[in-house]
Amino acid sequence: MSSVLVTGASSTIGERLIRSLLDNTSIDHVLAVGFEPFERALPFAQSNRLTYVQVDMARSRQIRGLLFGPARDLGVETIFHTALVDNAGGTGKRVHKINVESTRQILELAERHPTIRKLVYRSFAEVYQIQADLPALIEEDHRLNLASGAPQWIRDRVEADLTVCAAMGLSRLRIVVLRCAEVLAQGCGSQLFDYLESPICLRPGGYNPMINVLSVPDLVKAMELAHSSTVQGVFNIPGKDILPLSTSILKWGRMGLPVPSNWLTPIYAWRRKTRGHDFRFGMNRRRFTYSGILDGTRAKKVLGYTPDTGIDWPLPISEAWGPGWKG
Amino acid sequence: MPVPPALAGYLASRMLRRETYEHVRGLRFADAGHGYDPFGLHPAFVAMGLGLTRFFYEKYFRVISSGAEHIPDSGGAILAGNHSGTIPVDGMMLWTDVVRQSDPPRVPRAVADYFVPMLPVIGTLFARGGVVAGSRGNVRQLLDAGNLMMIFPEGVPGIGKNFRDRYKLRPFRVGHAELAIRHRVPVIPVGIIGPEEQMPQIARIEGFNMFGVPYIPITLSPLPLPVRYHIHYGPPIPLHKDYRRNQADDPDVVAEAASRVQAAVQKLIDDGLKQRQGVFR
Repeated sequence: MSSVLVTGASSTIGERLIRSLLDNTSIDHVLAVGFEPFERALPFAQSNRLTYVQVDMARSRQIRGLLFGPARDLGVETIFHTALVDNAGGTGKRVHKINVESTRQILELAERHPTIRKLVYRSFAEVYQIQADLPALIEEDHRLNLASGAPQWIRDRVEADLTVCAAMGLSRLRIVVLRCAEVLAQGCGSQLFDYLESPICLRPGGYNPMINVLSVPDLVKAMELAHSSTVQGVFNIPGKDILPLSTSILKWGRMGLPVPSNWLTPIYAWRRKTRGHDFRFGMNRRRFTYSGILDGTRAKKVLGYTPDTGIDWPLPISEAWGPGWKG
Repeated sequence: MPVPPALAGYLASRMLRRETYEHVRGLRFADAGHGYDPFGLHPAFVAMGLGLTRFFYEKYFRVISSGAEHIPDSGGAILAGNHSGTIPVDGMMLWTDVVRQSDPPRVPRAVADYFVPMLPVIGTLFARGGVVAGSRGNVRQLLDAGNLMMIFPEGVPGIGKNFRDRYKLRPFRVGHAELAIRHRVPVIPVGIIGPEEQMPQIARIEGFNMFGVPYIPITLSPLPLPVRYHIHYGPPIPLHKDYRRNQADDPDVVAEAASRVQAAVQKLIDDGLKQRQGVFR
């Protein structure tokens, strides 16, 4: 029996992870940590195996209080760290504190914590560089996106990922970093989800890259496998759906319209300003142009992870638009 | 609008002879779940590609091939051929020939220079037909998955050579030999006769960098001439048996292996030239 701590409990992914952990009878207690009050964060949860703590991850004193307070009292052995600012427009010191400094502090505090033994860190496929002369199938040693002009959303994710990776093997913690494909679901900070909200989705003319999207159940499964495994390392977590961008637009019930690539940044900036959306074409330019699919071979071999739950696409594409080819 | 796969399949059925169409329907590939492989290949587009190249293959370049029995039915292998002709029509004809001649049909995964995926429309169409950008990672992953790779070890210097240097191979890069040794696959040498005369290049403008295209060729003919293509496949060179896997890291061994492949391709070219009765015949 073990107790676990889940940060980012008020997010869609945190909530689903907590539900799944509560269903797992080998977990003694779940300490859920979120920014929202309990009633808004986990309205479903009525279990004596669940404790919810409201913590602002930008405040180091609160993190310290969490780990050496309830986490120590409950004998937490594993931390699932999923707390990040989802909003791509989020910038500034506070966002950096939540995205990066909280991770750094968790690592530091866990080092001298009496019960914590493992950290499962949810990272992102967006930390990888995508470009024409790099492999389309991305392995864990693929080039990272260290572009100086990258937005804070990307830079924070890369920095947090590298911070966790730097501690691997040198810390007494067992560390597992899961670089997950984009979760195509509401409330998960998915740029693609926001992009597909429009009835007409503009995409770079002449390009139709392969994309890979992950479902929430598969992400939860990967995190649980990482928890139960005794290994540490960095693992790509691909999703079941690998398809061209144009097909994903159609399967979402939208109309795709190819336009010159250099029109898209101002058009989507205008959309953000007028409609309050979050999608930034500049941030997604490369992956909307060149293919970048996570290779999950290592996760399959070591963690036993294979994606088995596809995205619940709103539209089953008719044969005319689907594979249309029976060999 | 993107071309839907069903339309691509329909067009293929209209453009191809019945037996060719049925042949290509036997194509096996690693479906990633939505009808495409992870690199973007779709069999309907392969069939459409065959349809689009049919006129050039059958009527214009009147391709004759020999030795296709050397192409393995399954498992990884590297087709290594000479590259020439100013524009890479030889790659297109070899791709077509392999799909048509192999039984069961196999799609050779052509390794293109990195600028190809940067080309709008063409990059996507090529990806649907199995072309991948020439990064080491892509090739490694495809070979590990048992694909048939199509590599032109001369690279761009081969295709861009002057007319007076025709059928003189440029020094082979050694990557294909290293990959064959490391991934335990044979190399099938391919000699392609004909493209050297299709578009004689007399000069070129350097420093043209749009989409990464390395130069603009100046040719005697604005379009490829209807030369006859002869494609000769040689017996597999068992680099995977002749060298140990760890020798893939030895530069001397890899260079020696690459020179064996180059010699085999040169021999196929020399023999083919002797047999050829004329540029257009």
